[in-house]
Amino acid sequence: MDEKYAINLEHVTRIYKRDEFEIRALDDITLRIPSAHFVAIMGPSGSGKTTVLNLIAGIDHATSGRVSVGDEEITGMKERDLAGWRARHIGLVFQFYNLIPVLTAFENVELPLLLTNLRKAERRDHVETALKVVGLADRMDHYPRQLSGGQEQRVAIARAIVTDPTIVVADEPTGDLDAKSAEEILSLLTELNRQFHKTIVMVTHDPRAERFVDTVYRLDKGVLVGVEPGKAARGASAADARA
Amino acid sequence: MKYTGFVFKSMFRSRRRTILTVLSIAVSLFTFSALVSLPAVANQILADSASGLRVACHSKAGVTYSLPEAYKQRIAVTPHVEAVAAQSWFGGIYHEVTDQFPNLAVDAEEAEVMWPDWGVSEEAWKRFRSLRTACLVGPATRSRFGFHVGQQIMLRGAIYPFNLTLNIVGVMGGKAPPNFMIFRRDYLREAAGQPGFVDTYWIRVDRTENVAQVIASLDEQFSNSSSPTRSESEAAFYGGFLQSSRTMFQLMEILGFIVVVTIGLVAANTAAMSIRERRGEIAVMRSMGFPSRTILALLLAESLLIGLAGGVLGCGAAYLVLKFLWVEAPTIVGLGAIRMPPSILAETIVIAALIGIFSAYVPARSAARRNIVDALRVVA
Repeated sequence: MDEKYAINLEHVTRIYKRDEFEIRALDDITLRIPSAHFVAIMGPSGSGKTTVLNLIAGIDHATSGRVSVGDEEITGMKERDLAGWRARHIGLVFQFYNLIPVLTAFENVELPLLLTNLRKAERRDHVETALKVVGLADRMDHYPRQLSGGQEQRVAIARAIVTDPTIVVADEPTGDLDAKSAEEILSLLTELNRQFHKTIVMVTHDPRAERFVDTVYRLDKGVLVGVEPGKAARGASAADARA
Repeated sequence: MKYTGFVFKSMFRSRRRTILTVLSIAVSLFTFSALVSLPAVANQILADSASGLRVACHSKAGVTYSLPEAYKQRIAVTPHVEAVAAQSWFGGIYHEVTDQFPNLAVDAEEAEVMWPDWGVSEEAWKRFRSLRTACLVGPATRSRFGFHVGQQIMLRGAIYPFNLTLNIVGVMGGKAPPNFMIFRRDYLREAAGQPGFVDTYWIRVDRTENVAQVIASLDEQFSNSSSPTRSESEAAFYGGFLQSSRTMFQLMEILGFIVVVTIGLVAANTAAMSIRERRGEIAVMRSMGFPSRTILALLLAESLLIGLAGGVLGCGAAYLVLKFLWVEAPTIVGLGAIRMPPSILAETIVIAALIGIFSAYVPARSAARRNIVDALRVVA
């Protein structure tokens, strides 16, 4: 694998079987995402965006082809190994936040750290730092029902980054939010990318996302139909040129 | 330990459901432990009170038939017999008809040798021998009626057509049946007009290995008399009283297990519902990297705690109720107190744990192994 790429999908096909039907969600896709890039995967419903994300996150298996993340090929990993790998390398953000309702913001963010060997005090430090990064240090004792949608998504982002993963994958992170909250979440993800050099892969329908990302990968019917620089990248190039 | 808080919080996510589940397990285990305690206690009482050296000799026709007083001398000279004490059932009641307890007349001179394991002090035995109206009471009867040493009481005859006035000179303990009262047989004989009959002879044998020989010898000795005898060990004698209750005890045990199985199924249904509602959360946790076995362990721990809470509650309630009954109605066929033995306590707690684990195992295992993508799709 080429080391400059954080994520490398080579000739990946994913076929789902639903009763007697075979659904080809991805058809021979080859896709490379460089390290520390913020990328969006866009396309109409059923184009295979979430399938790509699931393969990168190691929660789904390719029917054929190779998926490599960092310097590890995860295609052939067993579920037990994949679980450990996900805990170390992947932070997941979902459209509907998927926070545990009986846990406070603090406890939700702490959850992935329970898989580590960190002591309680160390876990507390990590959680407080993550919540500070997303601007919710003052809400750590709140339960999800006591937070707005945007705040819940921020907690979900804190939970995704608290273990300091290599890659953050976000599935429609603004899909359930109003315009203002969506902008804030996109800005936050951009900040994580710029400040902490996280590789962020985001699936979205939101056209506003193009302004924030480095690259847009367009899918249609399971096929990669285009790779375009995002407006953020174009803006950065212009700024570089001016400099 | 780091998952303790998570398990407790998950357990109380639906407080009402958890409380109702705990209560249903508690009620079923209350029923189970109370039902199963009765036969266990009966067996325990036999084991506790019976001596390997004592033999009961009664009429072959049954324990309600009498034997001639003259047998005592013949029994006493039988090889390996150390002592013989005659016993007659008075069956008196204290105040009301419900105030019944086993009261027996025994030979005063032989009583101490016959029942040295009944925890009676030497001084009390001495007073028992010296006072014709003396009686000794077991601890359950004493606490039931508030008796104390020095108190004079009157027993109303229910079988005999007269009342007896007795003076309490001591309290029995040790292996004595806790609800027994014994008094002197010479007092009963005199009041009854020297009838010349006794209900049972208690025989103390010199060594346990000679018990069988003594039993055979006694029954052979009286086999051609007008009152043939049937001799048996003390455990077998008391066991005979319980025989009529055996079927009921078996029914109780079966009912107890049916209740447990039923509540196990109800708990399984509740656990399945609870876990089903959390499939999305479980999928999210697995996507974070929680291994299936950790998820399974967390779900089982939660269910185990619910089961144990129900077990402790049900078992504790049964223990207290039986303890209360021990004071208020302390007999099983006149032999002893109804108390929950430690073995039943332990058994009930283990069953509670098993209900907890097995009720959740199948849905928990299924949820922990479910395909993450499929589970997340359900949430979305």
